[in-house]
Amino acid sequence: MREIIEKAMAKGASGCEVFFLNSLRTSVDFETGRLKGVSRTEERGAALRLVKDGKVGLATSTKLEDTDRIVDDAIATSAHGEKAAFDFAGAAELPDVCAASGEVREFDIDTAISQTEAEIAQILDYEGEINAEGGTFLDLQEIRVATSAGFDATYKRTLYKHYLGGRLIEGTNMLDGGGYYGSTVVDAKPEALVHDVIQQFKLGRKNVETKTGSTTVMFTPRAVADVFMTLYLGVSGSIVDRGISPLQGKIGETVFDERVTIMDDGLLASGYETAPFDDEGVPMQTTVVVENGVLRNFLTDLRTAKKLDLPRTGNALRAKRLVLTKDLGKVPAPEVTNWVMAGGEKPHEELVAGIHDGVIVDRIMGILMSNLTAGDFAGNVAYGLKVDGGKVTGRVKDTMVSGNIYKLLRDNLLEISSDVELVGRLGFFGSHYFPYLLMKDVPIATKG
Amino acid sequence: MKDRLEQVVKKFASQCDYLEAHVEETEESRVTFSGPRLEDLGRKVDFGGNVRALYKGGWGFASFNSLDRIEEFAQNAIDQAKLVGAETSELAPVDPVRDDVLLDLKNDPREVPLEKKVEILKAYNEQALGYDERIVSTSTRYFDRNRKFWFANSEGSLVYQERIDLGGVVAPIAAKDGDSQYFGVPFGSSDDFGVALGLEGKIDEVAEITLGKLDAPKVKGGEYTVILDPRLGGTFIHEAFGHLSEGDNVYEDKNLQEVMTLGRQFGRPILNVYDSGLDKGLRGYLVYDDEGVPTEKTYLIREGALVGRLHSRETAGKMGEQPTGNARAIDYRFEPVCRMRNTCIENGTCSFEDMLADIELGVYAISAQGGQTNGEMFTFTAANAYMIRDGKIAEMVRDVTLTGNVFVTLENIDMIANDRRPHDGPGGCGKAGQFPLQTSHESPHVRIQNVVIGGE
Repeated sequence: MREIIEKAMAKGASGCEVFFLNSLRTSVDFETGRLKGVSRTEERGAALRLVKDGKVGLATSTKLEDTDRIVDDAIATSAHGEKAAFDFAGAAELPDVCAASGEVREFDIDTAISQTEAEIAQILDYEGEINAEGGTFLDLQEIRVATSAGFDATYKRTLYKHYLGGRLIEGTNMLDGGGYYGSTVVDAKPEALVHDVIQQFKLGRKNVETKTGSTTVMFTPRAVADVFMTLYLGVSGSIVDRGISPLQGKIGETVFDERVTIMDDGLLASGYETAPFDDEGVPMQTTVVVENGVLRNFLTDLRTAKKLDLPRTGNALRAKRLVLTKDLGKVPAPEVTNWVMAGGEKPHEELVAGIHDGVIVDRIMGILMSNLTAGDFAGNVAYGLKVDGGKVTGRVKDTMVSGNIYKLLRDNLLEISSDVELVGRLGFFGSHYFPYLLMKDVPIATKG
Repeated sequence: MKDRLEQVVKKFASQCDYLEAHVEETEESRVTFSGPRLEDLGRKVDFGGNVRALYKGGWGFASFNSLDRIEEFAQNAIDQAKLVGAETSELAPVDPVRDDVLLDLKNDPREVPLEKKVEILKAYNEQALGYDERIVSTSTRYFDRNRKFWFANSEGSLVYQERIDLGGVVAPIAAKDGDSQYFGVPFGSSDDFGVALGLEGKIDEVAEITLGKLDAPKVKGGEYTVILDPRLGGTFIHEAFGHLSEGDNVYEDKNLQEVMTLGRQFGRPILNVYDSGLDKGLRGYLVYDDEGVPTEKTYLIREGALVGRLHSRETAGKMGEQPTGNARAIDYRFEPVCRMRNTCIENGTCSFEDMLADIELGVYAISAQGGQTNGEMFTFTAANAYMIRDGKIAEMVRDVTLTGNVFVTLENIDMIANDRRPHDGPGGCGKAGQFPLQTSHESPHVRIQNVVIGGE
C-alpha cells in the first residue's frame, strides 16, 4: 500500500488514494433439496486513483506483486483524464462501529450445512414436491484506504448471508417462494425465514383473477426495496450533478406525504454497508434523507460535495450501481448504505384486514429495466396476492404493476405499517429496514 | 502456464473423480462520460484462477489471485468436494481437447491508443449533448477486454484461448420538468473495433427519439397485439425461452422435466429457435466453453416443438443428452453454469408490412432496455414504442414494459418476418450472481397476440 503511494508520488503524482480489498468468501449451496457444492474464493486487489498535472488517473489490479504496473497504468490514464475537482481525504476521527472491531468469525461449514438441511426438511415436510434450495455465504473482508493527504485506516467486517427458497410446479404452474437474511453477525434467524417461505407457498397455491385498472396495493418491505431503487438514484449526488434527478433543487421542500421519513444509516448496527469510513476515507454517518416529507439531504462523495456545495455524507462506494458488492473496477460514487424508513401507526395485518379489494405486491420482476432515474417503475408481479374483503384469496399472475415513486409517495399513500422489517436480497447488498406501504390507485395491468 | 496447470491436475487427480484448473489474465480499458464529465478513464489488470473438483457428484471450488499457492487451492477444492459428495459423478463424455485458439481480428482495439478512444467517445458525447438544449446529460461509455484463458482437466484436455470483448453505448438523456428520458446507440463485438466507428448518424436519430419521449404519453396498460423489432425480439427469446432451456434448471427437477419433455409443442410451426457459439464477431462467439467443450449450434425449438437444451457436461450427463458447450463463467471467481451464447429466432416468410396490415389496435415495441425471467413468466422493456392503429404506425408512447408466460406467449406468436438482424450491445446476461456475461441475440420482426403491457 505505502509502496504504491510512494511510487505514484515519485512518478510525479501530486496526490493519490489507494483502496485495498482482501476478501475470503465461502459459500455452501443446496440444490434440489441436497447439498450441491462448497466454494471458496480468495480475492486480493487494489485500486489506485491519482492526480497528475491536475488530471485524474485510475487503475486497478489483482496482480499486486507488480506494483509498477498499477502505478504506470494510472499515470498513463491521467494524461487524458478528467480535471481533478476534489481533494483526497485527510486524517479524521472515525466512528466506532462494530464492523471495525475486528470481531470476525470463522465459518463453520458443518454448522452451515446442518442448519440448511434442517430448514429444507421443514419446507419438504410442508410439501414434498417443492424443489428446495438454500445456502449460506460468508465473506471475511479487510478494507484499507490510504491517501497521500494523511488518511490511512483499515477495518475488517463479516458479511453473512443465508437464503432459502424453492419452486413448486403443478402442471405448468410454477410457484416460487424464497427469502434472504443478511447481517454482519453470523445469526441466521432460521425460524422466521422458514416460516416466511412456507407461508408464501401456502398463500400463493391457488391462482385468482384480478383486473386491469387503478388498484389499492400494499407493497411489502421486499417490494419497497425494489421500487425504492428509483429513490436510491434520485438522492445520489452524482444524479443531481448530472441534472436528471426529479429532486433537483428541492432540499428543504416538501416532496412526499408528511408521514415519510427515511434515513441513510452508514452506522446501523450489523448493517451490511456499515463501516467506519467510506471507500474514499470519509467517515460514515447517519444522514436524514427525508424528514416528515421534507427533503433534507442528498448523498455525496468528495467530488459532488465540493461541486454542489453540499455536506460530505461519507457515501462514496466502489460498487456496482444498485448492487453494492465491492467492485475494484468502479470509480467511487455516491450510493445508499443502509436505509431505514420510519413506521406508521398500525401493524400490517390490520392494514390488510382493511383492504376491500386490492393486491399485495411482494416480489417484482424486471424492475431494473424501468426508467428508474425518472422515478418510473414497471414489472411483472412475480409474487403477489389478491385481497378481497380484508382476506387473502390467492395469487395473482400474469400481472404488471407500475407507477412513479415521486407521485405515489406524495399523493397516493394511504398507510405506513408500524412494523418495519429487515430486507436482504441475494446479489443485492445493503441492509434496509422498510415498513409495508399501502397505496391507492396504483396501475395494475393483466390479461383480458 | 499450460505445463504448470497440467502438472497440478496430474498431481491431484487421483483424489477425486474429475479435476480441472483454470487461469486467466484480463487487461481492460474503460472510457465513460456522464454528461460533459469524463467520469471514468481507467485500466484494469485482473489475474487469477480456480480449481474445481468433482467427487461422488459433489463439487468443490476454490478461486485465487496468487498462482504460487495453486496446490493449496487444489487441495481445498478436493476437500470441499469430499464434504459434499454422496452419490455418483456423471459427466457427459467428451473427447479431450488440446488446442490453442489465437485471436483473429478484423480491427484490433489494442492497436488503437487510449487517447484515440477518448477522442472518438468525446466527439460522440459532445454531438449528443449539443443536439438540443433539453439534452442535459449523457451516458457514453466504451470498454475493451483482452483476455487469455488457460484450462486443463484430469481427462487430458489442455486449452489456451485468447478472446477480445468490446462494447459501448452512446445515450443522450433529455430532461424536462423533473422527468428524464434516454435512448442509446449500443455496439459490441468480439473481433472488430470498427463497430465503435461511424455512429454519428445513429446518434442524431436517437437524440431526436429521446426528445420525442419527453412529450410522448405513457402507454395505457392492458392486453395488446404487439410487433417486436429485431432487437427486442432477441431480448424476448433470450428471456422467454433461452433461460428455461438451460439444463441446470431442469436436470434434477422431475416436475420441470415433465413440462420440458423434448417434443413438447411450445409454438406454432413457424417458430424455430437456436443458440450458437459459432457466430464469429458477435460477443457470444465462443470456441470452447469454460469446461473445454467445443461449442456448436444448438436448436432449441424446431417447427414449434422443443428439440434441445443448453448443457454443461454434468446436466447433459445426468439427462443422458449430448453436451452443447454452454458451461460459462463471467470470470475465474465463479464456477461455470449453463448460459446462452447467441440466441436466435430464425426468419419466417412474411414482411413487416404484412404484420401491420390487420392490426386494429396494437403496439410496435422497438429496441430493448433489457428483460428478466423466473422460468414461467418473463418481462422485457422496450426502449421506444409506437401505437399501431388501423394497420398503421401511429403516435409514440413510452414506458412500454411487456410481460408474458412461456406456456402461452410462444404459442401466440402468429407471424415472423424475413428480416433477421443480429444484435450486440455493452450489457450482458445475469444468472446465479454472475453479471454481466457477454451474450448476443438475433431475430426478425415478430408479431405476438395478447401481450400484457404495464401502465395506467
